[in-house]
Amino acid sequence: MMVFMPQRQRFRAPALCAAILMMLGVSSAPAAGLPRLASINACTDQLLLALADPDQILGLGPYSRDATRAWRAAAAHRFPQLSGEAEDVLMLKPDVVVAGSFTKLATRQLLQEQGQRLETFDVAHSLSDVKTQVARMGELTGHPDRAAAYNARIDAALARARRFVARRHYRVLAVSRRGWVAGRRSLVSSLLAEIGLSSAAGDLGLGYGGFASLEAIISLKPDFLLVSSGSEFAEDEGRAFLLHPALEHFYPPSKRIVVSERMTVCGGPMVIEALDRLVAELKRVERDLCRAHTCRPATLRDRQQR
Amino acid sequence: MVTAAVAAGRRRGVIVALVLLVALLALVSLGVGPVRMSPLAVLDALVGGGGEVPRVIVQEIRLPRAILGLAIGAILGLSGAALQGLLRNPLASPSLFGAPQAAAFGAVLVIALGVADVRSYALPVAAIVMAFLSVFVLLAVAGRNAGLLILILAGLAISSLAGSATALAMNLSRNPFVALEIAFWLLGSLEDRSFRHVMLALPFIAAGAVILLSQRGALRALSLGEESAQSLGVDVAALRLIVITGVALGVGGAVAVTGTIGFIGLIAPHLMRPLVGYDPARLLVPSALSGAALLLMADIAVRLIPSTSDIKVGVLTSLIGVPFFLYLIMRERRRLGGGVA
Repeated sequence: MMVFMPQRQRFRAPALCAAILMMLGVSSAPAAGLPRLASINACTDQLLLALADPDQILGLGPYSRDATRAWRAAAAHRFPQLSGEAEDVLMLKPDVVVAGSFTKLATRQLLQEQGQRLETFDVAHSLSDVKTQVARMGELTGHPDRAAAYNARIDAALARARRFVARRHYRVLAVSRRGWVAGRRSLVSSLLAEIGLSSAAGDLGLGYGGFASLEAIISLKPDFLLVSSGSEFAEDEGRAFLLHPALEHFYPPSKRIVVSERMTVCGGPMVIEALDRLVAELKRVERDLCRAHTCRPATLRDRQQR
Repeated sequence: MVTAAVAAGRRRGVIVALVLLVALLALVSLGVGPVRMSPLAVLDALVGGGGEVPRVIVQEIRLPRAILGLAIGAILGLSGAALQGLLRNPLASPSLFGAPQAAAFGAVLVIALGVADVRSYALPVAAIVMAFLSVFVLLAVAGRNAGLLILILAGLAISSLAGSATALAMNLSRNPFVALEIAFWLLGSLEDRSFRHVMLALPFIAAGAVILLSQRGALRALSLGEESAQSLGVDVAALRLIVITGVALGVGGAVAVTGTIGFIGLIAPHLMRPLVGYDPARLLVPSALSGAALLLMADIAVRLIPSTSDIKVGVLTSLIGVPFFLYLIMRERRRLGGGVA
């Protein structure tokens, strides 16, 4: 990202002009023949921000500026925020509209009927899905080189994480608000599996994800919980679930791996950060574990497994 | 005199039986949950024995749930009986008047503004204020000696308004998980509550109960008619304000931790009238006990009915309550018809 920052600065003024022109319904000329795109989905927003030149981006989805869930919310502020419906997209006349497979079908059909080129991205369930999507967005934006660079960095982050985790076999349960547990086919579980941690979700019988009760989570006894926030503030009852005294009894902050939703909710270059964060958090909780007990049992088990 | 003594003995018998039933249901409630435990293991965990996991499950998850079920059922039953006594009207109940719905709106407003933790006292306070406001507005709109029809229509309007306002407040908040949260506030649930929630609700419920019970004598005098009550030294206007305050405190405190749970307050007094008679003063305690029993039963049932996602306890109480309400309307049809003519 550091590489692209100076470029972003330089393009600020033209992008602003483009935005104004777009509001007037005037299309600016495509930069150096590269396609101009609009995104109406939270995950395609992030792929577009990472891979396209600023003047290729005509607009981003309605959630692009949500700092808790959008990875590059700060960068999204300079682009028009779209409603996620068909109207404003049609006014922009982009070369390509990128959407998610959960974007309303009616919206997508309407866009296609109007002769708009539409590219739909599925939800990424695994790291290989993520890399495929990065490559695909690289092709769409005309920057396959950037996509390849990101994918190389994803591989490197994965290798780093695997090197660290190889000896350990912790059972981790990824649990979010109201007890939602990500199933085996989710990106979070796939990240855990890729680096050799076992997800406890399978033991709950939740292949595709589902709600687990407090009692079930406690009796399952995973080594650590993977949560999206370490905050003690319960903004609603769903969040209060994770702060229930019974859960905090067995899983105080020292047993909670915190990886922000920003890094896991979508598949994209943010998985690099997610993997690094996962390892950093594992180091932290492991250090706490060693401080509280002796680390000998874990290493003994590792030796046996080897 | 003999019949009076028999009636008193019967009332005592009813109360003792209800206390035993509520105690039994509370114990059953501790034994029911996603994790299957034997009754002996549950008792062992309750007194601090057994493993750490069963102990935490029983003491930290199921015990607060049982306490809340008992306390909230009781205050709803008590509020229903007090309102029916105050308005001398068997169709009165907090949920038909929109009090729980308004309380939920108060709580949701605090959440939507994002200023307070959902486990802070801001929630019950906001809920109580809105509950008070709703009953106050209802009585102001319907008037002192309002007929059944007017009360029900005004109550329907207030509860619909409060329900819509709740949904809208959640929609306008920045919370993206709004659908599930709305379901919680509109349908009510005792799931996964903790002792923090108990501490949040219980003081207000207890205060509301004390206030309502203290008005026993005045409510009995009122059952003779407003003028007779006044001649007996009851300040009817003050009584009205005191009962509304008691209902608002109890219902507001309850709703702030469980969302709206309807119809307990309507059913409980009706179940008790054939057993203890029509005196509003003598109806209060049995109604509270039967309300507690009803909510505990409903909350046990939602955990036993096999389902893919958890059934909200408010759904069950409405499923039972609405047909009962329709039956009451049928029974009161003549009076209702008279009201129109």
